[in-house]
Amino acid sequence: MQKKWLGLSLSLMLAAGIAGCGGNNNGNGATAEGTPGAATASPAASAAAETGEPVQLKYWTDDRHDQEYIKELVNKFNETNGENIQVELTVMSENYAQSVDIAFTSNQAPDILRLKSGNTPEFVKKGYLAPIDSYLTDEFKTKFGSLLIDGVNRFDGKVYSLANTGLTLRLIYNKDLFDKAGIANPPASLQEMVDDAKKITEAGKSEGVYGFALNFKSPKSAFDRSIREILSLSGYQGLGFDLKTGQFDFAPYSQVIEYFKQMYEDGSFLPGAETLDIDPLRAQFAAGKIGMYLSFSTEPGVYQDQFPTEINWAGTLAPTLDGQIKGTSEIVSAGTWLGISAKSAHQEAAWKFMQYMYGDDILKTYHEKGFGIAVVPGIVEQAKNPEIGGMEGFLVGEHDSLWPAVPNVTPEGATYADAFFKYMLSGGDAKAIAADLNTRYNDALSKAVEKGEVAVTPDPAFDPMKPQGE
Amino acid sequence: MIYKWKRLGENSLFLAPSIILTLALGIYPLIWMLRYMFYDYAGYGEALFVGLDNFSRLLRDSLFWESVGNTFIYAGGKLLLTLPLSLLLAVILNGRLRGSNLLRGIYFMPTVISTAVISVVFYNIFNSYNGMVNTVLMKLHLVSQPVDWLGPKHAMLTVIIVAVWGAVGNYMLLFLAGLQSIPQDLYESASIDGANAGRRFWNITLPMLAPVAQMVIMLAIIASLKGYESIMVITEGGPIGKTEVMYLYLYKLLFPVSTGSPVTQQLGYGSAVGFATAVIVGAVTGLYFFFSRKMNKVY
Repeated sequence: MQKKWLGLSLSLMLAAGIAGCGGNNNGNGATAEGTPGAATASPAASAAAETGEPVQLKYWTDDRHDQEYIKELVNKFNETNGENIQVELTVMSENYAQSVDIAFTSNQAPDILRLKSGNTPEFVKKGYLAPIDSYLTDEFKTKFGSLLIDGVNRFDGKVYSLANTGLTLRLIYNKDLFDKAGIANPPASLQEMVDDAKKITEAGKSEGVYGFALNFKSPKSAFDRSIREILSLSGYQGLGFDLKTGQFDFAPYSQVIEYFKQMYEDGSFLPGAETLDIDPLRAQFAAGKIGMYLSFSTEPGVYQDQFPTEINWAGTLAPTLDGQIKGTSEIVSAGTWLGISAKSAHQEAAWKFMQYMYGDDILKTYHEKGFGIAVVPGIVEQAKNPEIGGMEGFLVGEHDSLWPAVPNVTPEGATYADAFFKYMLSGGDAKAIAADLNTRYNDALSKAVEKGEVAVTPDPAFDPMKPQGE
Repeated sequence: MIYKWKRLGENSLFLAPSIILTLALGIYPLIWMLRYMFYDYAGYGEALFVGLDNFSRLLRDSLFWESVGNTFIYAGGKLLLTLPLSLLLAVILNGRLRGSNLLRGIYFMPTVISTAVISVVFYNIFNSYNGMVNTVLMKLHLVSQPVDWLGPKHAMLTVIIVAVWGAVGNYMLLFLAGLQSIPQDLYESASIDGANAGRRFWNITLPMLAPVAQMVIMLAIIASLKGYESIMVITEGGPIGKTEVMYLYLYKLLFPVSTGSPVTQQLGYGSAVGFATAVIVGAVTGLYFFFSRKMNKVY
């Protein structure tokens, strides 16, 4: 009997121990629910300084490409901040958004978060982020002011993050294969792209060389890195939204799809592109088997570290619908970098770290090391070009700019990418598909507006050559 | 009497962790889901009561019904290949075969390897451009140009092959356990009566295995209808939805993956889809039990 009770006691102790492990180790307690940006942080920091206990901050990121550099910066901050603030960096491998969700629901949220334009609106809606307006000095306002975009880093008039770098989108092409096919220049129009892809395939098919490829395992990923760029340079918003009317209009999108469909029917696509992932695509491009594809400015880094290549390649502006540039190329994933948790008990200390990270030297070096392309005007002026092969074709130039954010809606049924990809592979009525998408996306938009989830302001005077209205 | 209460108290204490975990991780999420299938809810903010809207959307959701059709093709193909193959292997390995223990281990191996790992390997094996299968077929001059194993025409066949490879060892082991419970006397008597191997299999093995087979087939049906993990890695349900199955469709509603632009969870509609998929799987299992009820009365 004694043994039983001993066993029971041990079980209970173990259970209590496990429960203890799951508790809040962030020191949030009651203050965790406090008002974002409130002055609760300051006493916490000073109290910590008085007691000699360091203020512990957790910084989560899903960036892996820059982790060594960020580690160096964090270590330097920990040694030099003089206020006994210690930052602990955690680099997440994948499922970042889900990990953040779990952390916030279990009161184990980090103090500082890496934000991207893809996740910031969701994080703001979920109440994860603290506004940083009260911290912004005149110097910061001047430095970043021209880059504050509604729906990207500013929501309901409150700023949650500041810009650092952005991604440009380009046509990436193999110069050797162009030469071999007798093509002098990269295509300026979509018809030229179709013709060039055909020529490259004809010249190289016997050696397994094809003119074009995209990572169609995820049609949305494939189209959002290709058609988006083609449309914005052609004068249309790249995700099917008409900024002038404030409504979705997929008619221009369907025009671009016709050319992609033509390349597919011509046999210019790398075999198996329908289920190709981006890394296998890159591996084939690095092996000299693909004439061209469209992607982000992350590619030079990829071909330097991940898939080192001997081929002679370059990035250039994407072709447009008719060969005429009628808009600017959209710089994507710009406008956000770091943010402060609304549940952090040490928001002021977190801001001190953010202030340090947004310093000129750090932003400049970040660009020069090629981790991203600087979009902050003051940094662009100071920074040298990154010394990474091929990066020169991706640098921000006269045809690049930030565009207004488009409303994020979830329609019933297939997404635009799935619907158009199906058309590309199996045919159908493109006009009917575009009309159906318009109906479903605009219905979803109306519902989202009714629910107050998004706000739409049509801009009849919108100029795709000056999307920021400068 | 006091002793009985004491026993009850002790037993309850020991049962408590299981009961608490079942309530917290099984019953509560179920009730949560049953509630939210009547709401428009993205996982944050206000949940808007929409009555039966999610179900009317479900009825007109062609993507869902396509995924139901694909699920039956996938499950049917997998079952038709897996069950006879695993039974055949079990019968072979139940005999006095040299190295049968090693072979059992080898066939069972896929069951213990991570599905994600298996799927990545098979993605590379069936890769249309430079996959091993096409390389071998081309070298043997069996095909003149690469077969698009992951393309719209063959993707379903490919994911079924992967599923069969992953499952056959598991069911083989269950059949093997069933075979080993059949009394040897029956075989000896039959041999004395002059029954050959085929007749012994047909008249003794199969009937005696029926109760085990009933359970194995039921497990296989449920697993096939619920399977989606390897499909998610190999094709992500594509191309053009040709391998989209019910649980993958459900997963994408509940855990959408961002590829740069924001995506929204659809927990309300996802709950309705989850309920519908559970009803479909339950109905198929129920029908199977009804039609196979004689199998457990063999002996």
